[in-house]
Amino acid sequence: MKLYQLVAKDVVRRKRRVLYAALGVVIGTMTVVGILTITLAGQARVYNQLEKYGANLTVIPAISNLDMKLGDLSLGTLTVGENYIPEEKLPEIRQITDGKIKEALRLKDQGDIATIAPKLYVKTQVDGKSVIMVGVDLEEESEIKTWWKVRVGEYFKQADQALVGAVAAELLKFNMGDRIPLNGTDITITGVLEETGSNDDYQVFVPIETLQKAFGKEGLISSIDIRALCNACPVEIIADEINQNIPGVRAVAVKQIAETEMGMVEKMSKFMLALAGVALALGCFGVVNTMMTSVHERIKDIGIMRAVGASRNQIIKVFIYEAIIIGIVGGILGYVAGTLLAYAIGPLIFEGTVVTYVPKYFPLSLVLATLIAVIATVYPAFRATRIKVADSFRSL
Amino acid sequence: MLEIKNVSKIYGEGITKVVALNDVSLWVNRGDFVAVMGPSGSGKSTFLNIIGGLDCLSSGEVILEGKRIDNLDENALVDIRRGEIAYVFQQYHLLPSLTALENVLLPLILCGMDKETKKASDILKRVGLEKRAGHKPSQLSGGEQQRVAIARALVNDPSLILADEPTGNMDRKTGREILSLFEQLNMEGHSIIMVTHNPEIAEHAGKIIVLQDGRIVSEIKQKERKQ
Repeated sequence: MKLYQLVAKDVVRRKRRVLYAALGVVIGTMTVVGILTITLAGQARVYNQLEKYGANLTVIPAISNLDMKLGDLSLGTLTVGENYIPEEKLPEIRQITDGKIKEALRLKDQGDIATIAPKLYVKTQVDGKSVIMVGVDLEEESEIKTWWKVRVGEYFKQADQALVGAVAAELLKFNMGDRIPLNGTDITITGVLEETGSNDDYQVFVPIETLQKAFGKEGLISSIDIRALCNACPVEIIADEINQNIPGVRAVAVKQIAETEMGMVEKMSKFMLALAGVALALGCFGVVNTMMTSVHERIKDIGIMRAVGASRNQIIKVFIYEAIIIGIVGGILGYVAGTLLAYAIGPLIFEGTVVTYVPKYFPLSLVLATLIAVIATVYPAFRATRIKVADSFRSL
Repeated sequence: MLEIKNVSKIYGEGITKVVALNDVSLWVNRGDFVAVMGPSGSGKSTFLNIIGGLDCLSSGEVILEGKRIDNLDENALVDIRRGEIAYVFQQYHLLPSLTALENVLLPLILCGMDKETKKASDILKRVGLEKRAGHKPSQLSGGEQQRVAIARALVNDPSLILADEPTGNMDRKTGREILSLFEQLNMEGHSIIMVTHNPEIAEHAGKIIVLQDGRIVSEIKQKERKQ
């Protein structure tokens, strides 16, 4: 029989007192686990919302405008570079994007990961009115524009169909089934989008191949929107990689919105963690109190152990072992209580949030609880070693 | 073996000052059985605590096997409690969460000899409690608890056993049984200093000292008693 087994037996005998001591630890870890779980759920919700903002990477042709001057005399602007991205660069861009994502997420999957939506912009006249026609990849565009809702009709499916932005439909008096002449090719309007508040409202969307063919721009793209699969994907690294390896294009990471939103979540998390810190300190104080009471109650036992040969270190060990047991019990209960707390109040803090339990917080809860219990026990244990054996028997 | 030289113990100061022991001196030889008697508050338990290093003295010296032990640091005292001196108390002072066998094993656990279960059960058998080894103190009678306490004191094979009224809580018959156990131990060479109120018990000791107001007022050897 070892000393820790002896302590375990004693803990079983005094289980009520030990559970009471564990309560302080439970309150502390429950608050931390609860707050962390809620924060994580909140972050996930913000990430999901961010995904709806669309692309997190835009690739455009690398065009430089140079101001031409001769002394003080301006000679106008010289545009250097291509206005379009050749379509054959798409596989290369996909390879870099998917490669970096797989690297970041340690995926071995061979399939496509990122959504890569090429676009071709053409300004044309319909019934004497200027219209911006946007050629898009039907499938990829629908994945990027998750917020698109077709108000009338349906999403286009074929090469000769078009989808019209809300404002464009109103201004140009387009109706469902109307045919738009497009350099000799007629396309049919199959749907009108709901207003989005973006440029999309003013544009007419047609399948990219149709537009390329109609305007003689086969194999050309104006820009590419890329949406990575994950929230933590290294968009900046992908952009750098594209810029370094593919000439003639410029990739820009769109992170501002994400950073602002996440900044708010992080500030809130910090505030909540500070609250959790206070709860932890209170829990710690509670454990100190209960352990001091425990020392007082066990003066006789401590005296007996000292009288039969226990050293001061062994008395400290007895209390530390007990603290570890309190920590483990407190950690388990704290994790369960914290998760339940998150389920209860998470949806109230981040509206519509779906809280799920986070297994990785279980070991964290155990370590935290044990740490609090051990720290809170050091002083009472030290006090226990100062008790004189003769006094411990006399006090009975 | 044990020399107590001019030991005094004073509690408190000023008007609260209490002299528990006043210039007490005693010589105990190896194999002696000394009974310490005296009225309540005469300093008997304090005397025993000071000999065993459980309490510190105000002046004087305690010398065990030629070595002063009254001025030892805590670690050295722990060594003495683990080997040379053992205690048996009136209240038994067993740990309530442990079984009889585990209580006997406790001093060995503290010495790092936690695997010596056989030694502990042998000693428990010696005090006649081998069948009660798995019982907790609350399941044992007073006499049985005291036997467990004696077994615990013996497990480290101490040269000196300090017993503070070990039969104080027992009926006459059980008290006699416990006393005969102490006599056996004494015959095997263990020195015993036993505090007792009971003259009948003290009669069995080789030497009786009587304390009163912290002083030894009489010291009688068995031979003198017989004469």
